[in-house]
Amino acid sequence: MSYVVAGYGVTLLALAAYAAHLVVRGRSLRRRLPPARG
Amino acid sequence: MNLLRHAGLVAGKDLRVEMRSRVATNQVAPFAVLVLVLFAFALDPDRGVLVRAAAGLFWVAVLFSALLAVQRSQSIDAADGVPDALRLAALDPAAVFLGKAAALAVQLLALELLLGIGVVVLYGVDVAGVGTLAVTCLVATAGVAAAGTVYGVLAAGLRVRDTLLPLLLLPVLAPVLIAATRASEAALLGGAVDVAAADWIRLLGVFAIAYVAFGALAYGSLLEDV
Amino acid sequence: MSAGRRGAASVGTTVLGITALVGVGVTVGLGLALPDTREQGEYARLIAVHPPIAWVAYVAVGVTALGSALWLWPRTRSSAWDVLAGASAEIAVVFTALTLVTGSIWGRATWGVWWAWDARLTLTAVLLVMELGYLALRRVPAPRSVRATRAAIAALLAAVVVPVNHMAVDWWRTLHQGRSLVRPDPGEAADPPFVAAMLVGFVAMTLVYAWMLWHRTRVANLEEQLEHEGLRAALAERHAEGRAQIEAEVAAR
Repeated sequence: MSYVVAGYGVTLLALAAYAAHLVVRGRSLRRRLPPARG
Repeated sequence: MNLLRHAGLVAGKDLRVEMRSRVATNQVAPFAVLVLVLFAFALDPDRGVLVRAAAGLFWVAVLFSALLAVQRSQSIDAADGVPDALRLAALDPAAVFLGKAAALAVQLLALELLLGIGVVVLYGVDVAGVGTLAVTCLVATAGVAAAGTVYGVLAAGLRVRDTLLPLLLLPVLAPVLIAATRASEAALLGGAVDVAAADWIRLLGVFAIAYVAFGALAYGSLLEDV
Repeated sequence: MSAGRRGAASVGTTVLGITALVGVGVTVGLGLALPDTREQGEYARLIAVHPPIAWVAYVAVGVTALGSALWLWPRTRSSAWDVLAGASAEIAVVFTALTLVTGSIWGRATWGVWWAWDARLTLTAVLLVMELGYLALRRVPAPRSVRATRAAIAALLAAVVVPVNHMAVDWWRTLHQGRSLVRPDPGEAADPPFVAAMLVGFVAMTLVYAWMLWHRTRVANLEEQLEHEGLRAALAERHAEGRAQIEAEVAAR
């Protein structure tokens, strides 16, 4: 059972981590840009 | 044909530079033999491991030496602004590619001869199918030289070239390593042209043709940007 | 809260993201609810994650190759293709590494070893190294179009070797072990519930990929905008400095 949990767990963790990284990076870039963009 | 004649000129230039500077003979060749020696240190010379692994170790040594040879092949041009000079001379970039790859192939073949002698002497290997071995070396070297030349110019002029080139080139040469080793094993461990060896050599041929063609096509755009 | 502007998101990506999230949830639910199989016991449940992730890795690499080709082809040249190629490559690394990890876990569960020189795993490992090399090449300092062209050529060169490498590794391993060594193969659990879970997994992971691709390209575009802004701001500052200096000198006369 632990291998199955490990498999699903690492998948969810990795995808969530990368997704969070993209969102955070996007927000920090947005903040640093002047506000007038569409 | 003009293309071949120009390629010959470029190859001649590269080989002349080598003959005068002797970097391949004085540095790359000893390095190649050194790799063979290091393998003997790492593996047990007394239990026949070296003999059984000889084909693979040979080709790994060839690949590592090829990295040095490729970098050298690009360096001799970088120093004197040769790419610009070649463009001013209106040489077809494909000819430049073929010439450089040919010169590199000649040097690699010489290295392989040396390494072959090294493997026979140092590892005590008996060579049975010399013909198969020769064909394998020729076809594999064509592929290595073509891929090496095009990746060499891809990484040329970059400050991280020395660390980037191996990372880019070696994975691409993985099938050459696999195929050349299997074909060489057939030669070293006995038997004339093995059916299996012929298949591997055919695969090496496909690789060589693909990279010669691609290199000739891509060299132009790469030269423009260097 | 700012006026609905959240980082690199927009309404479209939010909808896509939620759909993807739901898809992943359904996949996990279906996958964990699968029954045990004869051949693999409970481990066949990994069929809902491993093949879909491998599939997305290949799709991502394909998109990078496509973007590279479209950048190189003069008639379609546009920096958008270069951005796409780079973004997809980064996502490819995530999914390829994950393919190796889940494949390794599955292998450990069914074969007892963390790694076997199985053709598929080996090829995936070589692919990962090539992807990393491509990303390294993209990070090299150089004018934008130069970097894009070099990276694009590297991507297509690697694409050329993939089929050759496939045959080489396949023959190599077949010689030693014969074709159908027990391996984490969807074929072994071909009953409807397994296939269904796997297919849902395919859809869910593809949605995740699309969402990530959308976001990663926007991040890349924002980064470039920032670079331009930085340059423009620095120039404007210098201008202002220069003007102030001149005015001061004029006033002093």
